[in-house]
Amino acid sequence: MEREYLYLDYLTCIGCETCETVCGFIHDGNPYIRIYVTENKQYLPINCKHCDDAPCLRVCPTHAIYRDEEGAVRIAENKCIGCLVCLQVCPYGVPFYSLKVRAITKCDMCAERREEGLEPACSLMCPAEAIQYGPLEIVLELVRERRAKNIPEHQKEVTEEELAKSVSSGYIFL
Amino acid sequence: MRGIKFSFLCRSKPEPTGKRVAIVGAGPAGLTAAGYLVCKGHAVDIYDKMPEPGGLMLFVIPEFRIPIERVRLGAKELEEEFEVTYYPRTKVMEGSREDEGDEFYERTVRLSELREKYDAVLISTGIWNVRRIGIPGDDLDGIFSPLELLFWIKGHKMGYVPKEKVPELENKKVGIIGAGLTAVDVAFECNRLGAEVEIFYRRTIREAPAGAYEINLLRRRGVKWFELVTPKRVIGENGRVKAIELLRTRLGEPDESGRRRPIPIPGSEFQVELDYLVFAIGMVSTPPVNGGYLATDRRGRLIVDGRHMTNVEGIFAAGDVVNGPTKVGRAIKDGLYTAVSIDRWLRGEL
Repeated sequence: MEREYLYLDYLTCIGCETCETVCGFIHDGNPYIRIYVTENKQYLPINCKHCDDAPCLRVCPTHAIYRDEEGAVRIAENKCIGCLVCLQVCPYGVPFYSLKVRAITKCDMCAERREEGLEPACSLMCPAEAIQYGPLEIVLELVRERRAKNIPEHQKEVTEEELAKSVSSGYIFL
Repeated sequence: MRGIKFSFLCRSKPEPTGKRVAIVGAGPAGLTAAGYLVCKGHAVDIYDKMPEPGGLMLFVIPEFRIPIERVRLGAKELEEEFEVTYYPRTKVMEGSREDEGDEFYERTVRLSELREKYDAVLISTGIWNVRRIGIPGDDLDGIFSPLELLFWIKGHKMGYVPKEKVPELENKKVGIIGAGLTAVDVAFECNRLGAEVEIFYRRTIREAPAGAYEINLLRRRGVKWFELVTPKRVIGENGRVKAIELLRTRLGEPDESGRRRPIPIPGSEFQVELDYLVFAIGMVSTPPVNGGYLATDRRGRLIVDGRHMTNVEGIFAAGDVVNGPTKVGRAIKDGLYTAVSIDRWLRGEL
């Protein structure tokens, strides 16, 4: 199956909280994408970047973290022992321990929805079109097309290489 | 580009339940609620006074934040895939009141009539009025409401507003009072159209609701930022705005919002010459009632219970008309959870 990417373009995000809302709605009120606000009121939704070279996946002592067919970094809840090492190595502090599930939980790129043939909800509902989902080339094209509509300060020409690196490594490109 | 997928919870239309829901107001709350309800098999009709669905997202928020096509395609998908029927240019009202954007409606329908015709009604009419400041001279020519100004600019782009309606802003001095997201959006659009923009705010950039990031972006583009000033009166000439008289302020103790209260300094008056003035100091909820039928609070917002229902059984309300001005995401959240309530109520579970 083709590798899918979920890319959040911070230059396009308007901080409206729609992603957090719909993610919380489909996950019993616990969103896997959360908006952080900086001192000068920049809004940064943070979710799992499903990094190509994911430190959590490498460090997990019980191999509870794996990559699924479409490229999402997932947790096998039955294997998780709750050691929190993944949380310590994640550059974004994404994984959190759920007392209810008794395992680490985080964004799984809407695994259940994908099984039903639906795309990740945050990307579908984002009014600003800041969250793109799909194969890399399509994501790249959509990000470029959308950025062209931004204010000049947020248009920022990026090379294919830069964007590819940003999309696939989770490196936030501002 | 793809549209917002309001029906993100399902792939296709399920078996119809036979229940019909009317939604008044096709903004983020109304459209999201429609998306949920059609996924539950209810038939949805949406009434809106504007010529097409989308609400403030489509007609007021600048294109660089929310693309026009993104909203249009989303609304269209509901119509084509889920058989949602739109009734544009239709104002639903019990009683009467003038709001912004009223020039577009051609028909009126009474809210009580909808309640009789449908199994449930959702009100998501948002905030289509602007708070007035109440200082001498605030009714002079050349003073715009932020909604109408943003709407003229975007509406012209969309072909609803003739060119002559959009004020010629090039090299004109535009003053904006306020530092919320609306004020910032007005500043961006006026700056883009070549105006010399000055923003006046009674607190400092640290307290500004729009935040220092957005304001500093504007400052780098040449917008002037005046803080710790409050308008005292507008000075006119031949009925037109000519200048604004401002008072300097200092910050006192925190008020109920937790921000330090601005206290005007007597005798510190000074004037700034202007061609246009925009008071972007807040927006007011516009429920489809005026004083009667549905209960509202003293700020004009609809009062709802834990089921998101108003005092009339079967009439629900969601979005900014209940909460006052918020963000798109909060309106979507309220629309979504209200739709859950409506669905449960229609099934007799609530």
